[in-house]
Amino acid sequence: MDCTTKLQVIVGDATIGMRGEGFSYIFSGARAGMESLVRDGKEWLYRSPMPTFWRALTDNDRGCGLALKSGMWIGADCFIKCVGIMVSIDDTPITVPMAPANNVYGGSVPADKAAVTYVYETVTQPPTQVTVKYEVAAGGDIHVQVHYEGKKGLPELPVFGMRFVMPTCAERYRYEGLSGETYPDRMAGGVPGIYEIKGLPVTPYLVPQDCNMHMQTKWVEVYRSTILDNSCKENTESGIRFSAQPGKEFAFACIPYTAMELENATHQEELPPARRTVLTVLGAVRGVGGINSWGADVEAPYHISAEEDIDYGFYIGGVEK
Amino acid sequence: MQPDMKWLDDPQTFRVSQLPAHSDHKIYASVEEMERQDSSLYQSLNGTWQFAYSKNPMSRPTEFYQTDYDAGGFGEIQVPCHIEMAGYDKIHYINTLYPWEGKVYRRPAYALGKDKTEEGSFSEAEYNPVGSYRKLFDLDEGLRGKRVCICFEGAEQAIYVWLNGHFVGYAEDSFTPSEFDLTPYIKESGNLLAVEVYKNSTAAYLEDQDFFRFFGIYRDVVLYAKPSLHVEDMWVKPVLSADNQSGTLSLQLKVSGEKEDLPADSVAEFVMLDRESGVCMKGTLPLESEMDLPAQTLDSVNPWSNSNPYLYRMEIILRDGQGNVVETAACDIGFRRIEICNKVIMFNGKRFIINGVNRHEWSAEGGRCITMEDMEWDIECFKRNNINAVRTCHYPDQLAWYELCDKNGIYMMSETNLESHGSWQKDAVEVSWNVPGSLPEWKEAVVDRARSNFETFKNHPSILFWSLGNESYVGDDIEAMQTFFKEKDDGRLVHYEGVVHNRSYEDTVSEVESRMYATPDEIIEYLENQPKKPFILCEYMHDMGNSIGGMKSYIDLLDRFEMYQGGFIWDYIDQAVYAQDKVTGQKVLCYGGDFDDRPSNYEFSGNGIVFADRTEKPAIQEVKYYYGLHD
Repeated sequence: MDCTTKLQVIVGDATIGMRGEGFSYIFSGARAGMESLVRDGKEWLYRSPMPTFWRALTDNDRGCGLALKSGMWIGADCFIKCVGIMVSIDDTPITVPMAPANNVYGGSVPADKAAVTYVYETVTQPPTQVTVKYEVAAGGDIHVQVHYEGKKGLPELPVFGMRFVMPTCAERYRYEGLSGETYPDRMAGGVPGIYEIKGLPVTPYLVPQDCNMHMQTKWVEVYRSTILDNSCKENTESGIRFSAQPGKEFAFACIPYTAMELENATHQEELPPARRTVLTVLGAVRGVGGINSWGADVEAPYHISAEEDIDYGFYIGGVEK
Repeated sequence: MQPDMKWLDDPQTFRVSQLPAHSDHKIYASVEEMERQDSSLYQSLNGTWQFAYSKNPMSRPTEFYQTDYDAGGFGEIQVPCHIEMAGYDKIHYINTLYPWEGKVYRRPAYALGKDKTEEGSFSEAEYNPVGSYRKLFDLDEGLRGKRVCICFEGAEQAIYVWLNGHFVGYAEDSFTPSEFDLTPYIKESGNLLAVEVYKNSTAAYLEDQDFFRFFGIYRDVVLYAKPSLHVEDMWVKPVLSADNQSGTLSLQLKVSGEKEDLPADSVAEFVMLDRESGVCMKGTLPLESEMDLPAQTLDSVNPWSNSNPYLYRMEIILRDGQGNVVETAACDIGFRRIEICNKVIMFNGKRFIINGVNRHEWSAEGGRCITMEDMEWDIECFKRNNINAVRTCHYPDQLAWYELCDKNGIYMMSETNLESHGSWQKDAVEVSWNVPGSLPEWKEAVVDRARSNFETFKNHPSILFWSLGNESYVGDDIEAMQTFFKEKDDGRLVHYEGVVHNRSYEDTVSEVESRMYATPDEIIEYLENQPKKPFILCEYMHDMGNSIGGMKSYIDLLDRFEMYQGGFIWDYIDQAVYAQDKVTGQKVLCYGGDFDDRPSNYEFSGNGIVFADRTEKPAIQEVKYYYGLHD
């Protein structure tokens, strides 16, 4: 058996590990998601990635009363319940929880692929569900498939996607998409191309608010040098790549803050010192509007209905060398 | 003439012994000075002045203008600078409501009855700060032995002026030059200029712009000398003819002499030069106090436009009876034509499209006291982002801005200093008391503001629209402003938005249908229902914070309706102020409410396509794209 080309699945007592050449991942039940994503020896997750439903209100969002209509999504963004975990190895489901059934394995399980699926339930009224499936190929590429279950009676969404919080600040990121900060109703001026952004700039709006959105992105690569591992004396830069499914695109923002951190600040200087990288990879983005800032909503095509399903996906893997 | 505190309370007193507004042409003592554009007739009084702040008129140092006054208790201030930005008074931002809302009950004089004079409303107010300014100066060589005048290019909001202990005059209108004749009292050396600046007067009702509420001498103060003959005013009227090739030019001159009678055989020579200093036209007029050169035809002129801001220069040489040059004067001019044909605004024979922005004068360092570098940066920003037009919201700008717009082909809507939305935009539109409305006691004050706007800037080719002001409702007084502009018959169009709130003035106020923040559907509704006038948006795309979404819906209308002719984005630059953060000591951007200022509209002044530090907001790439589609 050729171990180097197979995925090694470690069916633990509380986690599922997956390893291969240059990568090792841990999917946790207790942490309700992917707890560790190590590539080239570097940890890329600070906490489990979670669905995100909220953006720091823009001035126009405030003006048109978005928070008063859709305020329950801020709770959903902060607090979410994991109601189910499914695991499969080469498309064959295994028993969850794993112990004691995992006693039969006697070692790691070689596989062509393995998948872990989390089902989340929102704290909204009515509640709805989000399913996130991580399917790992033998080479280490992760295919993330996200499904939002539309539910009648839920107010429109400010945003929908997945939030990845990385342990330290990135040095830079590169992406293929549109120039500048773009939104669905403000992207005609964006010029397609490959762009590199140094640091993790936050657009310095007078009052901190949602910013740095990048629409129509084919891929984004985040590069970090610093790590939290105390035993590591040398920081070398390495990257991770999020790429869209073939023929598709996603939106992303890569800044050092979560929506809640932005939301809390009334001035740029009130934002905490930049510590992490917060990458949101989004399946739906609301427009910013512009007719006025005291009541006019964004134009009809740029709303996100919470009553309809949202499906999107992306791959996580190594950067192009 | 003795100064009277009651002028502060009386809307009918807004200029006392103030010189009439006149064209902003430059004057020189010789032909050589004119060629070098370096005049010996001006003297700047900018710099450090003695200063005292008083919270109200009652506590001000009343004798401070006396030459023997002991100013030992005075501090210092820079001129130009807002008094608040110098740390003497609280910085305050508020939008529509009058700044005294919730602090003092006030109504404008005469608004609720002929007998309601509201005496003491400002002159005896508990809070109506006074800035007492003193400046000692000697006359520069070039000004000695001549008539000497002083020009306050911008002083907010009411000023009393003394020279060497003598009262010289009083002025309101914070955003146009205020000039006084100092000749009777001026000395070659040891002059004491004293200026009392009041934060509020009845002018406050007319200057309720949505901005930081400042007072003080915030633009240049300049002395200028009038040689024995002096061009008081020049109005050059170049017009591009209907063939778009030839042009006509007429000229009106006003000249004053040191003596009442102008010297015999004195003349005014006029020369029109192109950019290559080629003489296109010249002539000589016998000198009179008012001269009128009827329209002259030029077979071929180079039209002025955004893409080709070609300027000619008009030079005037005044000679005495012996042929000696006494004074020269010059201004730049341009040939262009704006008109409404078949309900469409046409510029130089083509449909006119406004890819515009509203621009407040602003810098985070100086507030509305901005530098030449700031203005030049703004022009470059306009050019690289396909912005072709500016509305000087909501007051006339610094003189240099008009020249920059001329030189760079920026189409200008020159707005008169008028905004009174606190008198009718309360929680809703409510006009139980409103100024200027149709109140006769307020009419002359607003017509005077229109006159100052017109007379000062009339030669600037960049100005295509006169605007009567902003958000001041509508009535007989605003109608009279339009009448003033149209009587001047200078070919420019008159703009005013407020008539949408009272359509009974529709036929006499505003030559364009102007709206602010109309939705695309509302614009379509107007244009599909027997529209009377071409349609523009004096404000649209409110760029507060992260905005400018949906611009396509507006730009698409340009292709759909000939009569939709674009608009001015709100607005150009975030108005926020640098201050030191109390926690970190860093220089940070602050906005309304950050100075314990209440009531406030907080971050509502941050609507620029550039941030307050003049870096571009990300949305500007969208503006550049859409403004690049039509020119």
